[in-house]
Amino acid sequence: MPNQVKLKIDGEYVEAKAGESVLDAARAAGKFIPSLCHVKGLTPVGACRLCMVEVAGIPRPMPACTTTVQDGMVISTVSEKLTRYRQMIMQLLLSERNHVCAVCVSNGSCELQDMASKLGVTHSEFPYRYPRLPVDASHPRFVLDHNRCILCTRCVRVCAEVEGANTWNIMSRGVTSMLAADLNGNWGDSETCTMCGKCVEACPTGALAVKGKAVEEMTKNTDAVSRLATARGGTQQ
Amino acid sequence: MKIRDLEALNSVRQQGLTKYKPARPRIAVGLGTCGIGNGAEDVYQAFTSAVHTLGADVQIDRVGCFGFCAEEPLVNIAIPGKPLVILNRVKPQEAERILTEVLAGTVDQARALCKIQSWDHLTGVVDFGEGFPDIPEWNAIDFYKGQKKIVLRNCGLIDPEDIEEYIAVGGYKALLRTLRNAEPERVIEELKTARLRGRGGAGFLVATKWESMRNAPEGQKYIICNADEGDPGAYMNRNEIESDPHNLIEGMIIGAYVMGASEGIVYVRAEYPLAVHRLEKAIAQAQAYGLLGEDILGSGFSFHLSLVEGAGAFVCGEETAMIASLEGRAGRPRPRPPYPSEQGLWGDPTDINNVETWYNVPVIVNNGGRWFAQTGTERSPGTKVFSLVGKIKNTGLVEVPLGTPLKTFVYDIGGGTGNGKAVKALQTGGPSGGCVPVDMFGTPVDYEALAQLGSIMGSGGMVVMDEDNCMVDVARYFVEFTHSESCGKCAPCRVGLDHCLRILNSVSEGRATEADRDALEQLGPMIRDNSLCGLGQSAPNPVLTTLRYFRHEFEDHIQEGNCAAGVCEELFLTPCENSCPLHMNIPRFIQLYKEDRLEDAFESVIMDNPLPASTGRVCQHPCDDRCRRAGIDDAVNMREIHRFIADSVYGTEMEESVLKRLLERKMPPSGKKVAVVGAGPTGLASSFYLALLGHEVTVYDENSEPGGMLRFALPEYRLPKAVVATEVDFIRRLGVEFVCNIRIGVDKTPQSLSKEFDSVFLALGTWEASPIDLPGVQCTGVYHALHFLDEVAHGKDLRVGQRVVVIGGGNAAVDSARTVARLGADVTVVYRRQRDDMPAIPEEVDEAAEEGVKFMFLAAPHRVISDGQGRVTAIEVQRTTLGEFGVTGRRRPVPTDEILRITCDSVILAIGERVDTVFTGGSSLDLNRDGTVKVDRYSAETNLHGVYAGGDLVTGASNVSNAMSHGKHVAEMIDERLMGENRFAALFGSYTYSDELPDEPVAGGRNSTPLLPPEERRKSFEEVMLGFSPDQVSHEAHRCLRCDVKDECRVGAAAE
Repeated sequence: MPNQVKLKIDGEYVEAKAGESVLDAARAAGKFIPSLCHVKGLTPVGACRLCMVEVAGIPRPMPACTTTVQDGMVISTVSEKLTRYRQMIMQLLLSERNHVCAVCVSNGSCELQDMASKLGVTHSEFPYRYPRLPVDASHPRFVLDHNRCILCTRCVRVCAEVEGANTWNIMSRGVTSMLAADLNGNWGDSETCTMCGKCVEACPTGALAVKGKAVEEMTKNTDAVSRLATARGGTQQ
Repeated sequence: MKIRDLEALNSVRQQGLTKYKPARPRIAVGLGTCGIGNGAEDVYQAFTSAVHTLGADVQIDRVGCFGFCAEEPLVNIAIPGKPLVILNRVKPQEAERILTEVLAGTVDQARALCKIQSWDHLTGVVDFGEGFPDIPEWNAIDFYKGQKKIVLRNCGLIDPEDIEEYIAVGGYKALLRTLRNAEPERVIEELKTARLRGRGGAGFLVATKWESMRNAPEGQKYIICNADEGDPGAYMNRNEIESDPHNLIEGMIIGAYVMGASEGIVYVRAEYPLAVHRLEKAIAQAQAYGLLGEDILGSGFSFHLSLVEGAGAFVCGEETAMIASLEGRAGRPRPRPPYPSEQGLWGDPTDINNVETWYNVPVIVNNGGRWFAQTGTERSPGTKVFSLVGKIKNTGLVEVPLGTPLKTFVYDIGGGTGNGKAVKALQTGGPSGGCVPVDMFGTPVDYEALAQLGSIMGSGGMVVMDEDNCMVDVARYFVEFTHSESCGKCAPCRVGLDHCLRILNSVSEGRATEADRDALEQLGPMIRDNSLCGLGQSAPNPVLTTLRYFRHEFEDHIQEGNCAAGVCEELFLTPCENSCPLHMNIPRFIQLYKEDRLEDAFESVIMDNPLPASTGRVCQHPCDDRCRRAGIDDAVNMREIHRFIADSVYGTEMEESVLKRLLERKMPPSGKKVAVVGAGPTGLASSFYLALLGHEVTVYDENSEPGGMLRFALPEYRLPKAVVATEVDFIRRLGVEFVCNIRIGVDKTPQSLSKEFDSVFLALGTWEASPIDLPGVQCTGVYHALHFLDEVAHGKDLRVGQRVVVIGGGNAAVDSARTVARLGADVTVVYRRQRDDMPAIPEEVDEAAEEGVKFMFLAAPHRVISDGQGRVTAIEVQRTTLGEFGVTGRRRPVPTDEILRITCDSVILAIGERVDTVFTGGSSLDLNRDGTVKVDRYSAETNLHGVYAGGDLVTGASNVSNAMSHGKHVAEMIDERLMGENRFAALFGSYTYSDELPDEPVAGGRNSTPLLPPEERRKSFEEVMLGFSPDQVSHEAHRCLRCDVKDECRVGAAAE
């Protein structure tokens, strides 16, 4: 079949659709590759860098979500180096803002928490930065806590690509990057927000939540967002 | 007027030549941003009004920059039939004089930088004329020698704002040919033959990129010129555009034609207003001449070029971020593939090349790929422009063939630091590059070789660093830059660099631990391997290379809280204190003296430096090199101040009173016994502190009296024996026992001592002469310098004869020569390099010359001639010339065939000293190959438990203050080990003194101590340097700027 390619992942031969990402192909083959910024159906951005895999012939690890399968590719999803790197990146994410699970609405159903535990990361060896960031509770239905945001941009993409509202974007740069509604106004004052809530469902942490939820009460339905995104055709690359 | 064919182009060319090489004199002022910054605009105005005043028929023009930034403003003088002359550092007030000379058909030849008789623009040769024999040709002067101008072929010569001058030197000929022949594939073939690689830094083959663009399906395609030059210290692209904008336009039109693009964009930094202005003007001119727009040169091909100003984000130099920026989105990169040649601007195929890459295109089309590939190396042909900046004499833009070794940049072209300080490292590639240490300056500059060192070639920034640069601070600076320029998209770069910066800040503030350093070493490769774009992937390079090549500087900061370069302000009191091996609190004793508290001042001095009168005479005074007063006039003469203080106190009641104070401060007897071997500066310093710490100290020495080198190697006229005796006596009275005439290794051994004592400190000197392969060295009348000085100090009457030759250039050579002069002989010092290369203290060399010592430079000993009885009758020396630069910046002496014979009665060899290893007494002490003792870098302990070593015994021959600093440090280490706690700081008292400063610094230059007149010096061994008068010392003390008084305002790392 011309549309099928064969590749080897962790020593196993795997067939995949041409144009598919390594992440999708590997997951379809039952492999575990960690990731936080990826949602199937949304444009992959390669931001969290947890899905790095080794591709034979390329000296540096490659992000599985933005690397397209090629015939004859040889991939390792597990190695001592990858594990170390992934653990370090997870620690960087945990140390960046305020991820204190015990007082978080998403405690128990948080992708960041789950991924940390899957990677065997219980704490950060880097000092915690604990910036003092605002909480935007101006929206009638939802709340944005910047302290929990990992800048994965799932909300930005689902809002632009599925809802078409383009409410969210990232402002500033580097470690001072922040999620911003419209032109950095209050979310509640946003003229573009349709209050659809897809951003909240897509958010992997407690950064975006439904108002009124207490600790551990916020559960997300990211799969639904993914199904919606895929149903409308998704993005090919 | 639209140009449509060769004939029309040629007629514009003729028109242009009448302006570029007019029939009347032309004065052209270099008006790049750098020139303007140095006042070139005023020079231009001065010439314009001078022409007006004198009513002269002279053409005044503006040109770009010829590259020699250190000599700006540059002015080109072209008198018809004569060479083009470049004047440097021209001042506005000189305009009238220069113009008058030009009208008389001449220039001041002594005032000129260089001349150009004929210039090959590579697209056409322009002959200016011959003459002015006294002015060197441009490529005969150091800065341009070794340069090859391909990219910069027109820069600084043509008027960048006049398209006709560009056409005059062969511009747009390549374009016309390309369009006429209508063979775009041939251009790609030529680029392939040329093996031109992208000049933005990554070095991707241009032909490959262009070919894939050409092969992309027809339709809308874009080409982009990346002129978002953002590396600190890099300004090649700015200068290229400012000086020769049409070259870029021509390269881009050719590229557009080859790749099938109809639109082009130049993305320029908004911080380059002059480049933007000149490029806009050039684009408008090109349009007017039918070179841009519809139906270019009548070929039917259309191409539109526009200019976009970047808003200042460094990351927009990354191609996908640049595309995002051009599309009106925030400048953040996206993953590749797809590459821009597949999906670029607005989703269409897009080619992005660096400014300099485009500049190489017309000349390759014109002269062929084979011609281009002759320059440079096999894998990296062609030239590259670098901006050579930092601690370098000849700053400027340097274009050299790829493969040129780094040392050529720094020493041949750059002329070294120009201030006598040693170059430490070269930073290439800006914040994405790395620091290459001096010992790797032999590396050729090409993409692969620099990558192997952990750096990159980058776009061409080269920052030279000297001993005053702290490498921790350098790493910190670049990470601060990339940290603030990171786009924030991917976690490793965004958060990883933040942690890196925090750690580097803590290192520079002395708060870091070894675990922090290890974390840096973990973070670096992780950020490099996992970041999304080139910015993050290369951001750790400055950290990783400094950690690799300058690890000891990190260790010093972390373990000792010491920043030897004197940059990390949190770690030291003042630059002078930091540079002092003994870390004397210099501002304190100066202030105490100013307050008339001589006793306090002396106590402060002697507690920091147990031999203040001796060091006050013979210290190498590194404090002078760092004194901030030198920024106003000259360094404060700190050494003479503490000499004065010591001389005023010794032998008076104040000495007794200070001694009493110290004895009161002395800690109660510890019951521990310490043996110190060697009563030289190292041993004396350690015994001073060990005694005050309450230990029972016995100092052994093989000589009849204590003092070591101070007593027996330094001649009486530099350091009187009486001064040494006074200082030794002071230490003795603190409770130190001196046992002389004991030779370690013979009478006692390190093992036997370590049985008798709780700790043993080996502090011997380097008394053994280094071996030399010199025929006749065994003859009677050949002396080794230290043995000679030692014998003289012991009062032996050496019959050196009437004529003596001293071989060497260090302090021992100069001391020997001056001693011989005092013995009444005629003396010549023979040194294989030049005077400025002599390691001896420069003042001592001057004084020696005053005393009649003769010097013969550039000569090395060849053989010693003797008579029948084996007595020296002459020495043959071989003339040397200075060859290539070594990596450390000194030219290597190369022997020639010329042999000279110098008749003499004695020869004194002062070519270095080493350790005499007899002292080991057969013990299992770990030694290095040169006989020095191996010790732990911080504890100074040898492999034998409780046996320490320091001073020359560890470092090899050094100087008094370095040796004493070892003694001081080892005393602290021994005490800490013996007592189980660090009690050292408790020894030192505190003083209250004024921190009031005058509004203006006290005026007046540096005071020097009066010297004995030369004629009297030769007659005796009387001390030469007489010391300050009270007026001098008072003025000198008031010159001190008191850098220890700091404002609350914190800058840099501490500002966070």
